[in-house]
Amino acid sequence: MFWTVTKSLLEGFGSTVEIFVMTLLFSLPLGLIISFGSMSKIKPIKLLTKCFVWVIRGTPLMLQLIIIFYGPGLLAVWAQGQDTGNAFIQWLAGINGFERFTAVIVSFVINYACYFSEIYRGGIESIPKGQYEAGQVLGMTKSQTFFKVVLLQVVKRIIPPMSNEIITLVKDTSLARTISVYEIIWAGQAFIKSDGLIWPLFYTGAFYLIFCGVLTVLFGKIEKKLDYFKS
Amino acid sequence: MKKRSIALIMAILAVVLCFALAACGGDKNTDGNASDGNASDGNATAGNVVSDYEEIKADGKMVVGMTIYAPMNYKDENGVLTGFDTELAQLVGEKLGLEIEFFEIGDWGQKFNELKTKKIDCVWNGMTITEEALNNSSVSIPYVKNEQVVVMKADVIDNYADAESMKELNFVAEEGSAGESAAIDAGFNCTAVQYQQDALLEVFSGTADACVIDSTMAKSMTGEGTSYADLDYSISLVNEQYGISFRQGSDMTEKVNDVLKELAADGTLKALADKYELTLADELAA
Repeated sequence: MFWTVTKSLLEGFGSTVEIFVMTLLFSLPLGLIISFGSMSKIKPIKLLTKCFVWVIRGTPLMLQLIIIFYGPGLLAVWAQGQDTGNAFIQWLAGINGFERFTAVIVSFVINYACYFSEIYRGGIESIPKGQYEAGQVLGMTKSQTFFKVVLLQVVKRIIPPMSNEIITLVKDTSLARTISVYEIIWAGQAFIKSDGLIWPLFYTGAFYLIFCGVLTVLFGKIEKKLDYFKS
Repeated sequence: MKKRSIALIMAILAVVLCFALAACGGDKNTDGNASDGNASDGNATAGNVVSDYEEIKADGKMVVGMTIYAPMNYKDENGVLTGFDTELAQLVGEKLGLEIEFFEIGDWGQKFNELKTKKIDCVWNGMTITEEALNNSSVSIPYVKNEQVVVMKADVIDNYADAESMKELNFVAEEGSAGESAAIDAGFNCTAVQYQQDALLEVFSGTADACVIDSTMAKSMTGEGTSYADLDYSISLVNEQYGISFRQGSDMTEKVNDVLKELAADGTLKALADKYELTLADELAA
């Protein structure tokens, strides 16, 4: 039985890791773009980005999952019920929405990109003005200064808060179950339903712990590697 | 100063707009439900001119939304999906010339969202016919009878003979289930959990004193020879019936009703019910 459970949990864990990796892959760069938006000198862009970040950080990820997955379909049903020649409503009636897994990735990426963007912003704004001025004195352009001088220092400073968020992400993947995307908690709970076994659910904790343990060690190593910046 | 006040006004406007949009959406939803609930072929179904049956047929398969629970849909020792509803859905599918595909719903609370957005074509999973089901879907004729029973540890069950004596106990029941409303109606102190299985688990582990679940499930999952051998069920709270949910305004309901009557007439349904120790609804038992 132990092996059957382990095998089934590993299968669920595969899906958990898949959500984790895909989310990181897209939300890390998207977060940087959003952080530029919220630091923009153009007021409307700044305001809009800040509003967006407020909405995404201000509502539960579970609600976002439900809206992104069921929202388009429900809108289409409503539009199909309208008797109108309005082209926009007719277009709405035809929309199909996302696949389950895609909806999970889209919601997670948007949500995490907003959290990451604030971490990036904190990191970028913490770099002393002197660094930019030094770049300017050396004849570097603004983007050269940013990518060659500032960015690596930012990376070092944001490692601890980033590792916090990323470890949270590992555990948040369990929310995917809300829209019927199979993951490790589901795999564990299936044994309660079918065999009345409770321990597989607790056993899933071991998988999370090991995964987070590996990440912790990894982030520790990265931090050490970037230790040569003395501020 | 001026810039700041403009920003503030814009922010407030944005909030108001969000709420207004949300409120609009909500209104339309309830309107739609009300009209659909009152008139079976509500006027809000202009989009359903296309037959639901034809659409499903064109898809090649009917997706049946369910959750794993004995004796309706569960996996046998070999991991093959079986159960009363599993077999019945396949029989009905055969008669209608539709291939059946089972889909496990991750969150039972989302079942009608799944149905409305066409992610699934019906909810067929020992679903009690409730007000909620009637308001959100087109429900088939009742096919199986069920009761809501109180489950607790077998060694104390004799101390609680009636509902009155149970008032002090901590109850759990599945959120939004018929069991939950039965417990609330009986005046029990009831906490909602996600699934009926969680409710059993709570009683089993002692975090709750008792739970209210379907008698069909209590029969197959408690007592000697089951995983919950220490549990037993006692008094029943309400009698109710199971139905199948299709989309509002769908022509599938009528078609499936006809097949159910046909299966009842030739005795197939009775044999299937006996196999899983279930009681058919009156209309189909004759």
